Amino acid sequence: MAVTPTAALVQTLNGIQFGFILFMIASGLTVILGILDVLNLAHGELFSLGAYTAIGVFGFIIGIIGPPGGGVVGTAVFVLAVLAAVLVTAAILLPVGTLFEAVFLRQIYDRDQVYQLVLTFALLLILLDVKKFIWGDSSIRTDAVYSAINTIPTSELVGLNYPTYNVFVILVGSAVVVGLFWFFERTKTGRIIRATAIDREMATAIGVSTDRVFTLVFALGAFLAGFAGAMAVPPTSATLEMGTNPLVLSFVVIVIGGLGSLRGAFVGALLVGVIRSWMITLYPPGEIAAPFAIMALILLVKPEGLFGTWGETA
Amino acid sequence: MPERVDRDGTPAYRFLGVEVTRREAAFLVLGVVFLFVIPDIASLSDSLQLSVIHQGLLFGFAAVGLNLLLRHTKLTSFGHAAFFGTGAYATAVLARYAGVQSVGLLLLGAIAAATVMAAIIGVLSLRHTGLYFALLTLAFGQLLYAIALGQSALGGSDGLPIRPGPANQPLLFGTAFSPDVYQVLTYYLTVVVILIGLFVMYRITQSPFRNALDAIGQERTRARFIGLPVRRYVWAAFVISGIYGGVAGGLYAVVRQYVRPEGTLFFLRSGDILFMTILGGFRTLVGPLIGGVVLIFLQDVGQDITQYYEFLTGVVLLILVYGFPRGIVGSLRSGGIVNTRLGELRREPSVLSAWGRSAAQSLERKVTEAMTSLRIILFGVD
Repeated sequence: MAVTPTAALVQTLNGIQFGFILFMIASGLTVILGILDVLNLAHGELFSLGAYTAIGVFGFIIGIIGPPGGGVVGTAVFVLAVLAAVLVTAAILLPVGTLFEAVFLRQIYDRDQVYQLVLTFALLLILLDVKKFIWGDSSIRTDAVYSAINTIPTSELVGLNYPTYNVFVILVGSAVVVGLFWFFERTKTGRIIRATAIDREMATAIGVSTDRVFTLVFALGAFLAGFAGAMAVPPTSATLEMGTNPLVLSFVVIVIGGLGSLRGAFVGALLVGVIRSWMITLYPPGEIAAPFAIMALILLVKPEGLFGTWGETA
Repeated sequence: MPERVDRDGTPAYRFLGVEVTRREAAFLVLGVVFLFVIPDIASLSDSLQLSVIHQGLLFGFAAVGLNLLLRHTKLTSFGHAAFFGTGAYATAVLARYAGVQSVGLLLLGAIAAATVMAAIIGVLSLRHTGLYFALLTLAFGQLLYAIALGQSALGGSDGLPIRPGPANQPLLFGTAFSPDVYQVLTYYLTVVVILIGLFVMYRITQSPFRNALDAIGQERTRARFIGLPVRRYVWAAFVISGIYGGVAGGLYAVVRQYVRPEGTLFFLRSGDILFMTILGGFRTLVGPLIGGVVLIFLQDVGQDITQYYEFLTGVVLLILVYGFPRGIVGSLRSGGIVNTRLGELRREPSVLSAWGRSAAQSLERKVTEAMTSLRIILFGVD
């Protein structure tokens, strides 16, 4: 099949866009794994909870400000409103993550790891049916955000036909990446979290409350998952099973990047996103298998992942 | 013939390497007889369906295999449905494309496929331990699920039927039976396979191999220092546990005569298999089997009662994790929590109200603790 440069560019952009969404999910998962030593199987459900919540929040906020007005100001207001809605959604998930950690996980840190797996699996099942109870069996969607943002010309300016919403996701995703690295590199809280990841006992000895760090990290993971859910839902629809694929792909990302490594999660997510989307044009049946093939390759060549473990550098 | 031996002062019997006291022997015989009469019990009662028990036994059998890893090497596999599904799909492919009709050959094919699959996944995922291992097995399991879903030769999401030959059904002893008889006969086949599987597992747990695995599970580095080939042993255990899954999957395909990715390869099935192991009690041999029957039965009942049965399963899991971490068999056996409590009750019936009080108190304490930690986390210590 002949692939034109334009098509290749579009697919690459699609891949990068998906990679950013994936990074937001995988980064939370990998930081939780690196610090709490817990594999949060319910993380995909947090993502889809974010997507469902976002539809409601989008509807509410658009109901207040109405459809985008004409001119630059109207558009800017609308974009800001969408951003605010995404942040509100993510903020709604903060207490969910806090409750998970403080009420459920906290009790069983000293047990066999299998119990923590079973616990997060139980929470996955419970969340699955909570969503079914609140939003019903069928998928729900919101078109307003996607179509409204797509009316803003961006890629058309350089002669490319590419949905503006995807550009929007890439921009916001980049901001999140920069923000996260800034948080872990420059702020005091971020450094405390990294210190806890490097040596938990030493951190306790110099007065860091690891309990609070644990809860903070879990809440941060839930926040990022909710953020990702809100960003991912406008072009598609929210379904009950939507959490599974991102969860498993996040595992792949973590293995590729290295356990607990934020930088690894970033590189891994973009790699998985782009290769997956190239496969869609080159060899469609390979779309699902390709990320796993990379994972297997990394496991054979560099079992600790591309960037090793986290802590010393973010 | 059974031979009398002395075990710590109590008389015991040894037969084919299985050593049991009289009490245990009675339980054993009772259990085997019970397994064999289940079709008759099921035909008497409407609420108890043979197919549900049968499915529970099959998944439970896969859980018995998983338990070898979990109990001794402390490795949590979260992708055991991969082997279950490999066995099931190997059977389906053999029946559909090679026209194999004999149940024995189909099962051999399932075993071969599961062995190869376990060998490959084992090589790749056993480079890591702990959660990393769980994550890898889950990812590989989901990969197989995605492949089965995407390949039209494997039937996609519709799955594949296992109806080879002119009889439209796999042949037992070269003969086709009517559906009812077929169900019962395959059930007996399952029971025989399970008994053999449990016997083999028992022998494994009595062998030096098991001690080596225990040593590896406790402290890998030390095990390597005393000269154990850690990687090879763990890999062997992984393959054995995969074979159990493959046999169970092959039987599942033969019994159901239909395989779908959702029912065999999906990661929730892996979770089910792990959950069965914990539910039944992962420090015991037959626990996973019982856990399998109980879980599938509960899910079946739950599906009838409410559409939110995943929620129910989740709540049962929570109760299990916090209340009965040793599982059904672990809690029931002598020295377990249920027996101890029953003994106390027999001595002094009034203890019941004290239990109620203490249960309420401990629940209250747990809730207060959780709320306190929540408050401290949010607002600091003041």
